[in-house]
This record gives sequence, C-alpha cells and structure tokens, in this order.
Amino acid sequence: MELRRASSTTFDGLPVHGGTEVVPLLRAGLLRADTLVDIRGVVPRDISPGRIGAGATLAQLECDPGIPDVLREACRLAASPQLRNMGSLAGNLLQSTRCWYWRLNWPCRLHGGDECFAREGEHREHAIFANDYCASAHPSDVAAALLALDARLRTTAREFPLAELYRLPTEGDRRTTTLEPGEVILEVTFDECDQSVYLKAMERKRWAFPLVGVAAVRRGGETRVALAGVAPVPWLLSGELDSATPLPRNAYKVDVARALVKRARATIGT
Amino acid sequence: MQLTVNGHQYEVHGEVGTTLAEALREELSLTGTKIACGEGHCGACTVLVDDEPVLSCITLVHAVDGARVTTIEGLRDHPMIDAFVRSDALQCGFCTPGQIVSAVALVESEPAPTTEQIRHAMAGNLCRCGAYPKIEEAIRTWQG
Amino acid sequence: MARLIRTEKEVEGRYEEVWLVVEEDSLDQWPAGPREVVGRDAVRVDGRERATGQAVYTADLAKPGMLHTAVLRSPHPRARVASIDLAPALAMPGVHAAIGPGDIEQLTSDCSFQGEAVAAVCADTLAHARTALRAIVCDFDVLEPLLDPDEAVRQGSLLGAARERSRGDYERGLAEADVVVEAEFRTQVVLHNSMETHQAVVEWIADGVEVHISTQYIWGIRDAVAQGLALPPDKVRIVCHYMGGGFGSKNGPDDYTFIAAELAKRTNRPVKCALTRREENTAAGNRNATIQRLTVGARSDGTLTALGGEFVNAVGWDGWSSGTEGPMQMLYACPNVKTTTYGAKLNLPPMKAFRAPGFVEGTFGLEALLDELATKLDLDPLELRRRNHTDATPDGSEYSGKNLLECYRRAEPHWERRHEVRARSTKTVKRGVGMASQIWYGGGGPPSYAWIRVGSDGRATVVTAMQDIGTGTKTAMAQIAAEELGIPLEHVTVTLGDSDRGPYAAISAGSSTTPSMGPAVRAAAADARRQIEDIAEQRGLKGAPVHEVVDVLEDSQILGKGARGPNPTGMQVLTFGVQVAEVAVDIETGEVWVERIAAVHDVGRVINPLGASSQIEGGIIQGIGHTLSEERLHDPATGRLLTTTLDAYKLPTIADVPEIVSELIDEPDAHLTNLGSKGLGEPPIIPTAAAIANAIRDATGADVRRLPISREEMLRALHEAEARQKEKVGAPAGV
Repeated sequence: MELRRASSTTFDGLPVHGGTEVVPLLRAGLLRADTLVDIRGVVPRDISPGRIGAGATLAQLECDPGIPDVLREACRLAASPQLRNMGSLAGNLLQSTRCWYWRLNWPCRLHGGDECFAREGEHREHAIFANDYCASAHPSDVAAALLALDARLRTTAREFPLAELYRLPTEGDRRTTTLEPGEVILEVTFDECDQSVYLKAMERKRWAFPLVGVAAVRRGGETRVALAGVAPVPWLLSGELDSATPLPRNAYKVDVARALVKRARATIGT
Repeated sequence: MQLTVNGHQYEVHGEVGTTLAEALREELSLTGTKIACGEGHCGACTVLVDDEPVLSCITLVHAVDGARVTTIEGLRDHPMIDAFVRSDALQCGFCTPGQIVSAVALVESEPAPTTEQIRHAMAGNLCRCGAYPKIEEAIRTWQG
Repeated sequence: MARLIRTEKEVEGRYEEVWLVVEEDSLDQWPAGPREVVGRDAVRVDGRERATGQAVYTADLAKPGMLHTAVLRSPHPRARVASIDLAPALAMPGVHAAIGPGDIEQLTSDCSFQGEAVAAVCADTLAHARTALRAIVCDFDVLEPLLDPDEAVRQGSLLGAARERSRGDYERGLAEADVVVEAEFRTQVVLHNSMETHQAVVEWIADGVEVHISTQYIWGIRDAVAQGLALPPDKVRIVCHYMGGGFGSKNGPDDYTFIAAELAKRTNRPVKCALTRREENTAAGNRNATIQRLTVGARSDGTLTALGGEFVNAVGWDGWSSGTEGPMQMLYACPNVKTTTYGAKLNLPPMKAFRAPGFVEGTFGLEALLDELATKLDLDPLELRRRNHTDATPDGSEYSGKNLLECYRRAEPHWERRHEVRARSTKTVKRGVGMASQIWYGGGGPPSYAWIRVGSDGRATVVTAMQDIGTGTKTAMAQIAAEELGIPLEHVTVTLGDSDRGPYAAISAGSSTTPSMGPAVRAAAADARRQIEDIAEQRGLKGAPVHEVVDVLEDSQILGKGARGPNPTGMQVLTFGVQVAEVAVDIETGEVWVERIAAVHDVGRVINPLGASSQIEGGIIQGIGHTLSEERLHDPATGRLLTTTLDAYKLPTIADVPEIVSELIDEPDAHLTNLGSKGLGEPPIIPTAAAIANAIRDATGADVRRLPISREEMLRALHEAEARQKEKVGAPAGV
C-alpha cells in the first residue's frame, strides 16, 4: 500500500483525512485500497459564521461559540474526545453505518448481497424509517444537525443541499452517498438561525452512536427537524412520527423519538 | 520515515499501513502505549500528536511525519503520574498510560477542571477495572 | 511438627476436599482496628511502574526471535471442517509453521461453538501471520446449532445432571402463605473484556518450557501445561509479573497456550499467541445468560414461608452450571426452599467464571422478587429483609462470622434518603431508592505459602509466586509483613509472578487471594520475627527496632516461612453486604441513570482501606454496566455473535459513574486464620443490579424483569405499570 500526500484536489487513490473511518475499515477488510491520498493539506479547515471548511475537526467545532447550538451540541455528544480531535467534518458526514451485520461483513444488501439480515434478525439499533430494503441506521449526529440547518455543500464538482449527499440504497445502486469517485467535499455553509438544539438518546452517557438523535432549528416561524439513527440516511422529519415503520424489536425508538422531538420543539420555541 | 517521539528523532522502517501504535511498540520498543482493541474504541493507545490526544492504533505512522508525538514515556516526570499513584487511580494498570496521556492534555488547557469537564474529556478512555472515581480524584488534585 | 490432614477448600462456590500439610500456627489475630500499617491506606507498591508504562505485561513481552500467531477459529456456532489446506499459508512470506485439526487437542475439525480453534499460523510479524491465515483454504459444512436454553433442557442437552436442592416442604410452605408472588427474570450474556486480552509467550528451554502468560492462576497453569505437554511440573516455568485484568476469565491455559507451545516446539523459537479483541469477545469466556422462574410465599407480616425457583443457566458448550440458586438457598431464613438448576449445553461459546458467577444473576432475580413481595405486602423492603434475617445457616451449622444486620443498620441513613430522593422527581424524571442484600463466599483456603528474608539492613523481602491481577494484593501482603515484623512499609519488598521463584500460591479468583495468601505471609513474617527476637535477646537489645538488632549480620539473613492453615471446620465462611441505589428514570425516553450507590460490606478485617474502596468502586461500576448497557448479542437465526467490538459492546465510561459511598464493617472474623480477613473481589458486584432494579420500582412502580435494563425494557415495564394503574383506578367501586 502507498500513502501519498495530495498537492491539489485532483488525485488518484482513496482520500483520507483524519483516518478514523478509513483506517479501521481498511484493517477490518471492509475497504481495499492500493493507494491512499492524504488530503489534509488541500481541504479547507477554517471556521467562520455560516461557513465551515470540510477539514475542520469536531473538536474545533465543539468549542467554537460562533457555531449554532445544534451543531456544537451534535459535535460535543459525538464519538470520543480522541475521535473528535482526529475526525473531520466531512469524514463524519461520510461515515458508514454501525450495523453489526455490515461491520462484520455479512453479505448484506449494502455489501452487494440480496438480503437484509437485520430485518429478520437483531435490529434493536436499526432504522424505523425507509427500512424496507435496508434497515441500517445512519450514525452521524453532525449530519442530522446540518440537515436541520438546511446546510449546503460545496465539493470539487458541484454545490448542492446536504440532503442530496445521501440516497437510500436500491436494488440497482447500493450506495448511501452520491459522492462520485474523486469528488472531495470542501466546505459546508448554512444560514444563521434563531434557535436550535440537539438531543441525543444513547446507551451510555458518552461515546455511543445515536439510538435516536433529534436536531431542531427554528428560523422565524419555520422549523426543521432532522433525526439521526432512525433511517439509512439522515432523516428530515416531515409530518409526525406516525409514519414510522418500526421493526418488531425497535418500536421503542418511536417512543424515544416522539419524546425528544417534543422536547426539542419546546426548547426552540415551536 | 522520521518520527519525533518525546523529543527524540527516530527512523521508522515499517511499511505503509503500519499504525503509530505498532511502530511505537514494536520498532521503538516503547511499550508503555498499549493496544487493547486495535480499532479505536477503547482509548488505551492514546498518545499526544502535537499536544492533542489521538488514538495511535488507528493512526497511520506515515501520516504523523513531521508531527510531535508524546507518549507515556515522555510524561514520566509529570505530576499527573504521582497524582494517579497517590489517589489509587489504577488497578490492573493496562488502561492507565492512555488515561494519563488524556488527563495531561486536559490539565494543560484546563489546570483546574470541573467534574463535568473531567468526565467529558476522559470519556474516551475505557477502564474495565472501574478506577474511574479515583481517576477523577487524581485529576482534580493533580497539582498536589 | 508437620501434620497431614484432610480438609475442605472452596473456590467460586465449589467445594473440594484436599490434603494439607499444617504446622502449628499459634498466632493470635490482631485486635480489631487499624494497626501501624495494616488497616491504614497504602498506595500500590507497584503503582508507579504501571502508571509510567514501565510494567511489562505479557502483551509487551518481546523475546529475541519471537514469532507471532494468528488463529483460525470457527465462524460458525456448529460446523464440521470439510477440508482444510494449510499449504498456501506455509508458502506466504515470513511464515515459519502452521498447524491444523488433530495436530494438537485444541485444534478441531468438529466445531461446536463460534470461536473454537481450527488452525494456527506463526510468522515473523503479526501482519504476516494474519495475511497467511487468510490464505488457508478451509471449507465448513455448516450445521444447525442448538441455541435456545429451554429447548436444550427439553432435549436433555445439559452439562451434568439437573441440580435439585430442597429443604422443608415447599408445597406446604406455599399453602401457608398469605401472599404468593411469581415472576420470570432473564439476564444476559456479559463479556469480561479485560483490557489485556488472553495471551501467552511460550519458549522451550533445555528439557522444559517457559510460559509467560496473562493469568489469574500461575500454579494452575503450571499443572495444566505440565499435564498437557507430558512434562514434570518442575520443568514448567510460569511467569506473570503484571497482567491486565481477568475477572475470572483467566483461570486456565485455554487453547492459545498450547497453540503457542506446539508452534514453539516446531520452530524452536519463542512464540506469542495473543487474542485480538474480537477473539476475546468470541471465545475467551463469558458470564452466561440465565432464565429464572421464581416464586415466593410469605405471611402478611413478611416472614417467608416458601421460596422456589427453576434456574436455567445457558452455559454454552462447556464450563459448569453456576450457583444461580445460591442466594435463594442461602440468604434468608425460610424453612421451605426448593430449587432446580439446569446447565443448558448449547452451541454457544463456553462460560467462564465472572466475578461471583451465578450470584450476581441470582441476586437480581431474588431481590427483585422480594421487593415485588414487599410492595404487595405494603412493607418496607429493608424491614422485609430484617424480618427474614437468620443467624443460623440453613443446614444448622454456624457462620464463622456474619454481620449482615450491622450492614443493614449502617445502610439506614442511606435508606432514609429515599423520601428526599423521591421528592426530587419531576414530571418526566422520576427518582427512587432501592436496596439489595449480598451473600457470597470469600474465605479462601489452603494451601498457600510465603517465604521471607531479612538482611542486615533490616529490610524484608517477601518471596511468593502469587499473582496480583490488579486488585492490589501485592500491596496488602507488604502491609501484613511490615505489620508483623514491626518495620515500615517502605522497607518491605514483595516478589511475585514466577513459579520458579517461590512456593505455591492460591488462585486469584473467588475472592481468595487475601484470605489465602495473607495468613501465609503473616506466618512467614512471624517466623522471621521470632528469630529476630531470639537474636535481640542474645544481644541484650530486647525491644529494639529490627534494623538495629540485625545490623551485625553482614551476609547472614533471617529466613522465615509460613503456610496458610486450614479453615474452621463445621462453619460456613461467607461474606455479606447491602447496597442502596438512587436512580433517575426518564419516563418518556426510558433512560435510566444511577445517581448514587451506597455500599456496606462485611468481609472481615480490611488490610488496605484505600485498595478496598477501589475494589468496591470497580465492582459496582461493573455491576452498573451489567445492569444498564452491556449485552453480548447473537443473530437469532444462525447464532453468530454480533457484538464483538468495544463500540457495539458497551462498557461504562467515566461519564456513567454515580456517586459511590462505601463502608466496610472491618470486624475480623474471629474463626478465620491469623488475620480474620475475607476476600473483597466479588461481593461489591453482587447486589448492584438488584438495588438498581428495586430503585426503579420505587421511582416508577415499574417491574423490570430483565437485564440489561435497555430503553426497550424500561419502556415496556413503564407501560405495563401504567396499564396496571389504569386497571386499578378503573375497577368499579364496591368490588
């Protein structure tokens, strides 16, 4: 294997920034690469109101008072302190599911197979929305926060709403992101908001992925609520939770989500 | 490649893909840094890279070229060591070097951290023996 | 004069008879209370080595020319190896040897649980070994596994016979009851997750073998390795200076030691075989799951008339059926008790002892059941325990020492807090207080030995071949020696960890190190002290400090030896305690968190209060993990494990720790050895889950019946409590 340092945003090979996803996945055999490209030198990392370089770490965002509450709290409650020091904003958005079947390399749909083992199996941490084809849950607190902020991404190829970074896997295309090979996220932007909050339910007080994460943002009379941990992609809540389609052993997530959404709305004055 | 560890320069010959933890322990025989999970989940392998706590078991050694690495061996005279021993903030001791590295980083930026700050900063260092209450005590009283 | 006797020895609740050589031990116990050194806080004598990273664990050991091992383990709960070809692995770079099914007993082609070892490769580096392992061509015929414990009982797939224990007349006791409560409880599989994984470095030297191993039982490993390799035990050297946790999982050599031994023999090199974290969580042992179907009958004043239970231990493929029924049989005065315990043999990885095996699970079921009874009787739960306290053992013998009533008394101030705690409830967060009793073993037993040498500088070295698994027993031994000799603690060195360099020492399991080794160390120190007193007499220096008495010795040394005497006969040597938990429950999200735990334990004389408080905190924190977040999951269809990594298997973090207040009765057990000390390793983990479950009931009225108390379980119990409440309210008047 080779590790090169990128001198521009055009390169051949697998990009790596903080390495907190790429390195463990490589070592677990879930990713293969002959050439790794260290992109830390070519991806912006500066932070200003409403504009964040994709290379900024969660640790930097966690303690920046200019960052909206929802994003700061999502960073603060994400991962562990060491991972927050190492991991980049864009890397966090692109992280893979924690679904144990996927992580243990079962031949599931995301791995190109023809079954979702979680649906009939152990799915207590899995999706309660859009879980028909694949029941994996998206683990990123930060993605939910940015989705609630209605953030936009700028990559080396295009500019688009964050929501379009994600897609549900289908029979014809199993990917959960729309990033093309060689396309690098450079920057995240969002408008300021009046009030925002992030509430997270997890199995221990720190260092756990969201069972349910609720990001809520109010701008004037408009509210956006996005959820982490409830669907294969970060989930923008439109309407109520009654449209959820829980599996037999994860219906509790609907109760949890309902309570947290109610509290989040109350906190931001909706 | 050149690696700067605890103020010394070392030549490292491991191939690309070797982690910082592996290079420290196997090539440089600096076995104070422990590998307990090897996947970035437990914090036992915590070292400082440019003064920030990171997980050396998922850091590629070739990616810290040019950075300053500090391991537990480089903290031998730090008062935090005495604080841990005095407070009995260790039992089997396997997670302890990683705990001390994280603790040192915390007090360098926050010399008198609150309980909340301690718990937040140390949440990435697992201890199966359950020395947590005394680890908190050690950090609260580290200045002696 | 040396005497040979036959006596009883207990480890982890299992009794066996052993032969023992005893010498007269005329040492009286010290009077209760802190002494010069014993009974006072002491920092760990090896704390600095561990904290600085200088301590060399087996994981850190690198011998010249050492090879590294990767093991192929069955990925299936039940499978047969249809074909295996090691040749591609042997052809890979850096590879020195490969072994497969039949080469040693530990490698099999008939796999009965996931993780059972099939083949192994050793190479220059771990990376080479792992790459080579992937080159092995191995085809499995996957077979249908037996996974369900109740089904196993139905089919008669059991480890040993079902264990029936009864006293009195259970049916009549039930008939006499004014109130009967029945409930089913389930507990989960819990993984030890010691921070240092299981591993050994084996080297053949001359006509013997040297094994460095992360272990709780140096002498047990020596015996097992000697037997396994057909060597005289004297030719087997076991070394363990520092080890990174065991909690019961490291009492035996398992497969990796013999894999390393065989590879070392074939390559003529030292070979390390270390488990990865995933292997650790697959095949290095676990606390098995249990199903407990329990019944209690009582009179309206709370006195128990009947206790009954069916216990199913989901043991796995191997191990033993632990005493889950123990608390029900042993804790309370109840004349009619009937229990049946099954050890279900399943295609799941074998259980291993884990910090009070059976009793943690059984205490959860029993104490939660009793609290449900207390609610029905409208009786204070602590008062219910007091009313059923007994000073006589069920079989009519005596306790060597029992201060459970005193534990209850000292728990009262903590129990009193419940009014104030409940008052701090809000609309969505309810707070409550619960308690649970603890009973366990911890008397240790013979044999255990120590030697001591004192030089002309008046400093002493205690020579043992014991292990300190992180509990601080090394420090306790130093304190005991210092106390007996009358010298400062700083003048005592303890050596340990090498079977070539000291006499037999007990296992560090079953809370037995302090009560087994401690008296031996004291006896050795007393032996030395008497010799020093003889010399003092001759020099006209009676009463002078030790270093003055021995300053003429030059190269001469005072050598003392001591042995652990027998346990008192006809007495049960047990430990007791109580914990009071304060919890908060978010009744909308099902989140549970523990805010405070008060622990009072009776373990005889405490040698090191500082070390003891660490043991208590550690046990409680493990108890909290067991109660709230830890669970090994497997895929229901195939039985394959799903939670083998530390992101999926959730240990408590520092952020999950409540306020912990602990107290030890610290009264020497007058009948037990020259110390009166029992073990503390296990008692603190035993009542925690039950106390938390009972606090939840106090806070919310909800009956949690399974561990861990996940969001799902908490919300289920809350909804059920709500439904019960509605039923009560909705009942027509006058009915």
